[in-house]
Amino acid sequence: MAVIRDMIPSFELFQPASVDEAVDILARYGDRSWVLAGGLDSLDWFKDRIKRPEAVVELGAIDEIRGIRASGDGLEIGAATSLTEVARSPQVRERFGVLAQAAAEVATPQIRNQGTLGGNLIQDTRCWYYRGGWPCYRAGGNICYAGTPRSMNREHCVTGASRCVAVNGSDTAPALIALGAQMMIRGRGGDRVVAAEDFFVGPAIDITRMTVLEPGELLTHVRIPGSWAGARFYWEKVRDRKSWDWALVSVAAAIVESGGRIERARLAVNGVAPTPVRLRDVERLLAGLPADAGTADAAGELATRGFRPLRHNDYKIPLTRNLVRRAVRGTAA
Amino acid sequence: MSDVEILPVSTPPGVSRRTFIKGVIAAGAAVSSAHYLFRPSAALAAGTSVRATFPRLLTLRVNGQARPVDVLPQETLAMTLRYKLGLTGTKLGCDRAECGACTVLIDGTNHYGCSILTHTVRDRAITTIEGLEAADGTLHPVQQAVVDEGGFQCAFCAPGFIMSMVALLDENPEPTREEAAHALAGNLCRCGDYNKILNSAMRAAEYARRMA
Amino acid sequence: MAEKLIGQDISPPDLVAKVTGRAKYAEDFRAEGMVFAKLLLSPMPHARVRRVDARRALAMPGVLGILRADEVPQEDAPGEQALTDEPRYVGEPILALAAVDETTAADAIEAIDIDLEPLPFVIDPLDSLRPGGPDARLDGNTIDGGGVKTIKWPRDAFAGLEEGRLPMGEVTDEWTHGDLDAAFAEADLVLEDTIVHQSLTHHPMEPRSSMAYWQNGKLHIYCSTQSTGRTHGAIARQLGLDPDDVVLVGQYCGGGFGSKIAGAPIYQVSALMARKIGRPVMLRITRYEENYIGRGRPGFQAWVKMGWRRDGRVTGIDLFIVQDHGPYGRSTDYLTAGTVADLSYQPAAMRFRGITVYTNTPPRSAQRAPGGAQIVAMLEPLMDKAARELGVDRLAIRRINAPGHDAQFGPNRGRLTSAFVREAIDVGAQKFGWTAKSGLSGRRRGTKVTGVGIGLSPFVGGSSGFDGLLLIRPDGKLHIHQGIGNLGTHSFADTARAAADVLGVGWDRCAVIWGDSSQHLPYSSVQAGSQTTHAHTRANHAAAMDLKRKLQEIAALDLGGSPESYDVGDGRVFARGNRSRGLDFSRAAQRAIQLGGKYSGHALPDDINEVTVRSATALAGQGLMGVAKDNYSHEGGTWSFVIGFAGVELDVETGDVVLVDYLAATDCGTVLHPRSLAAQLHGGAVQGFGQARSQKWVFDPKWGVPFAHRLYTARPPGMLDVPLEMDWVAVGAPDPETPIGAKGIGEPPLGAGAAAVASAISDALGGTCLCRTPLTTDVILAELEGRAQPNRPLEIHA
Repeated sequence: MAVIRDMIPSFELFQPASVDEAVDILARYGDRSWVLAGGLDSLDWFKDRIKRPEAVVELGAIDEIRGIRASGDGLEIGAATSLTEVARSPQVRERFGVLAQAAAEVATPQIRNQGTLGGNLIQDTRCWYYRGGWPCYRAGGNICYAGTPRSMNREHCVTGASRCVAVNGSDTAPALIALGAQMMIRGRGGDRVVAAEDFFVGPAIDITRMTVLEPGELLTHVRIPGSWAGARFYWEKVRDRKSWDWALVSVAAAIVESGGRIERARLAVNGVAPTPVRLRDVERLLAGLPADAGTADAAGELATRGFRPLRHNDYKIPLTRNLVRRAVRGTAA
Repeated sequence: MSDVEILPVSTPPGVSRRTFIKGVIAAGAAVSSAHYLFRPSAALAAGTSVRATFPRLLTLRVNGQARPVDVLPQETLAMTLRYKLGLTGTKLGCDRAECGACTVLIDGTNHYGCSILTHTVRDRAITTIEGLEAADGTLHPVQQAVVDEGGFQCAFCAPGFIMSMVALLDENPEPTREEAAHALAGNLCRCGDYNKILNSAMRAAEYARRMA
Repeated sequence: MAEKLIGQDISPPDLVAKVTGRAKYAEDFRAEGMVFAKLLLSPMPHARVRRVDARRALAMPGVLGILRADEVPQEDAPGEQALTDEPRYVGEPILALAAVDETTAADAIEAIDIDLEPLPFVIDPLDSLRPGGPDARLDGNTIDGGGVKTIKWPRDAFAGLEEGRLPMGEVTDEWTHGDLDAAFAEADLVLEDTIVHQSLTHHPMEPRSSMAYWQNGKLHIYCSTQSTGRTHGAIARQLGLDPDDVVLVGQYCGGGFGSKIAGAPIYQVSALMARKIGRPVMLRITRYEENYIGRGRPGFQAWVKMGWRRDGRVTGIDLFIVQDHGPYGRSTDYLTAGTVADLSYQPAAMRFRGITVYTNTPPRSAQRAPGGAQIVAMLEPLMDKAARELGVDRLAIRRINAPGHDAQFGPNRGRLTSAFVREAIDVGAQKFGWTAKSGLSGRRRGTKVTGVGIGLSPFVGGSSGFDGLLLIRPDGKLHIHQGIGNLGTHSFADTARAAADVLGVGWDRCAVIWGDSSQHLPYSSVQAGSQTTHAHTRANHAAAMDLKRKLQEIAALDLGGSPESYDVGDGRVFARGNRSRGLDFSRAAQRAIQLGGKYSGHALPDDINEVTVRSATALAGQGLMGVAKDNYSHEGGTWSFVIGFAGVELDVETGDVVLVDYLAATDCGTVLHPRSLAAQLHGGAVQGFGQARSQKWVFDPKWGVPFAHRLYTARPPGMLDVPLEMDWVAVGAPDPETPIGAKGIGEPPLGAGAAAVASAISDALGGTCLCRTPLTTDVILAELEGRAQPNRPLEIHA
């Protein structure tokens, strides 16, 4: 069979009006089904004719998973809420600014208008070997083409690899980890809640998936607790071009200080591993220290301890170190 | 090409040894055949027609008109506009949400027409470049501003940029140059005419304010 | 008399169509019964097609036929065919298939069973030069004037490669002028460096789609091309058709940058498929396909040694270039690079050595300042380094070396028509505020360091000897027929004003005829290499002078007196000193039709090209014709110059670079149209920013497969990657060797942008020259952190 990378092959389109209905359809079709939200990741796969679902379940008609509302002392954001809405929401901006900033730097205005928070979190990796349709581990083969001594892996990972060296591309993921968010999931078997940092799975756990979502499950909402509201936030995404691009490395941080010292902190980086990485060691280190240059330097060093470069991506080590430093300092200056 | 490199691995939890072996064979078999590195796609779905229960005929609201059209489930809006409704002003520059030439407005917001399924915009107001002029042929202030600035070079990107400018001014009638640049950052111009395009956007804002 | 149109801002006549979506590009045309073709691309970098079994595909409902390599015009080596059974790069079209709709065609391509025999392939030119190294072509690995040949270098030539020393051996091209040893002996400073310049895909916004059908034996083809007339001829030639049997419509071209100069080989596919299946065929080219078949700029692996006197004057240049060629044809970027280096710095002595090496990567072609844009981006940071070491101002070192009107350059010691380079440097420096801004060089604010850069970029700016064809119709309107294309430079309209000004006709009384071969177009230059501004202001001027003379003669004939006693203006020919005695153009056109002969186009000059003869003959009898070959003097080479001034803020913790400032100063002769000049200066610069900063060309070396084949991985600059505002200034001194004084300006702005940014980044790094493009975040950060560079020395496809 020859290969062509154009024109979406046929599928059956479902546009359910409720989560339960969607979950039913997904259950019916099993691994022949596909969840479509904003579609920016999905349509790319479909046009490449690499992912070929039989049934596509489009979520646009499900009102219950759209919108932002207060929930307890925090917020609950529907997974199908557009990134533009997240970035512009006064509630998000005022209390959880790091998420608004991260959402505002995803791709381009058009993509943010259509792309959803859930889609940004669940997006598949952009490893160009994998996306190109190579029969790698992640695609069910038993080779990683990106991890060999001669591979082109400038944008691949420096930590957390297990056979696969692809990175997670989400901008909102590290922000939500820094905010201690929780992912609300619904499947045929009912609802479950998973902490943001546990939502993403690396290749050591399941090499074909990016998240804990089982086939047939839907991410319905993201719940952000009030615990970090109004903290000192830091967000930075370094990329080759100032629009469209995924992060080479990104950092998100929430830091609460009192009396000149860091009381508590949560930090996450992305673009360095198959999952976004919560920097627990750094958080522990920071507690009780002044947010000064010395602390920042120590945090940067600790954050990158154990990082191992591939052939082309050594730069991610100093880049991550420096971004963590900046996050602790709270400024690029 | 026989020296397939395999990283040292231990079998991961949940993956049987058998799956691995299957992978090796599949990769090896690909080497001399047509797909080279590319894994063969799943067999084509038998019978490419969709179920009769799916309503393929729908009515789109495009540029203020109701346009009945027969649309495949997998069809993108850009394809429907260009090949079924004759609205070729919406361009396909990449078909992958990477260039913005296909930008259209959906309920006033700019989207990549290439990357949205037509069936998902059934009940929404779609505006294309052809829908900006007034009935008497008067250009939209954005179009007029571009003309007055001598805007664009090859102009293949122009319809998309213009739609993004319309969306911008609708939302922010007094953008700074920097705000305009951010709002137009989802549109690519390979002629590199960004300076003049931004000049046009700023002039368009002025025209729109004058009209308001 | 009407005010001169040249020098004014006048929006091109196609702009309303462009802003309303009515402008039709190739893929916007439809024909009754139109069907769709799709391509089967090679998945391997080099292979032979052993077997194709399309039975299953052809049996699918809606599939209409396939077209194979033996059905398209066959090309002699190293020429490129539209379809091939020996693909020489990943993505090369092997066959095409047509079906009633695109999905069916794509499904059917997948149903084709194809068996390929892998052949040896090479991605890095240096690999092919190694003893026993693979060749991209079965007949050799390089080409010179005599054809394809094989050159291998001895093993010891590669001894220093791992340390970053360019291997050097036998070359195909070499020239020297002056005494190189003496030049380096005289030098107070000698620097040498190894430099890598990446290849870049053109990626015009409009992929090279085409639609074709046949009617009454004539081919009608709608395609994207930079040059209407020259593509019409090329397609007729390729398909063995009489030019009268080809109707080519290409009114709009969505960008080309050198990749669509005379169309594209792939246009044969829609034409031949349409003939084979008897239906109109649309071949929509995807971005993915455009990456492969859409051409690229050749990359270089180079070594240079330069010597300077204490005052900054360059004494000698020794340049060695290995060019990454792709698999077909002969790209001469590397040769031009040598010439441009010599012209830019005017060394007392220079040696150039170069070899171009076939690789199994996409075909190359000219890309805006071919060869020039690469070499200035490579050498300008070295000039900075020398200035720093010598303690000479960076502006001064450009001034002291800048070519003047008497400059000689290149292997043939060519001469220029004019060179106002120092003037351009001076007006540019003043408007940019060089003195103040260069004082900010190295300023540190937080983690941001300011860098200021300069890039001098010369390039060829015009050819001559083409034809102009004008017609005043009985309604009094001046029709200016243009065989050049419309790829967005506005020159199809701007050069027409040379004719309007000679005749004193207001722009509203002019109609430009372009973009459709059935509209009778004159023999024109290709719309490439910055030729048209120069070539067609001249040709239109010549035709207008012919037309003016004929108007004078008609007036003398009807109203008495000598032709010389009449003048033209405001749509009339009238007696000097008595404007009321005369004829309007409408009347003159009617008289021309009555008079016949040369006035109506029935008798034509004998030196015009046969293309013009055909068009003029078709137009004969419809009005008063002006038609002439450009026989104006053209002594010396016409070159334009741009000096870019750039400001950047470089973040020392991330390697991120923000372009904050850019000004282009130019010597391009008379300014034809200020606003389109600004667009060329800025647009070219933006492409140059991409070349210097972001644009990638990446191949897996083991498998020969590209990765920067999408826009998101190729990374051309977006709106936020360029300065928020850009400025420009022109010297405006007319070139003495052309009647209007205007030189072309499409090419040099690109190199100026690339070089100025490379120079500014080097400045922000305290004078460190990283000697490669693109200068991406990772490359810069590795330097700042003193860590290993992300790429091996001389690695070219990273």
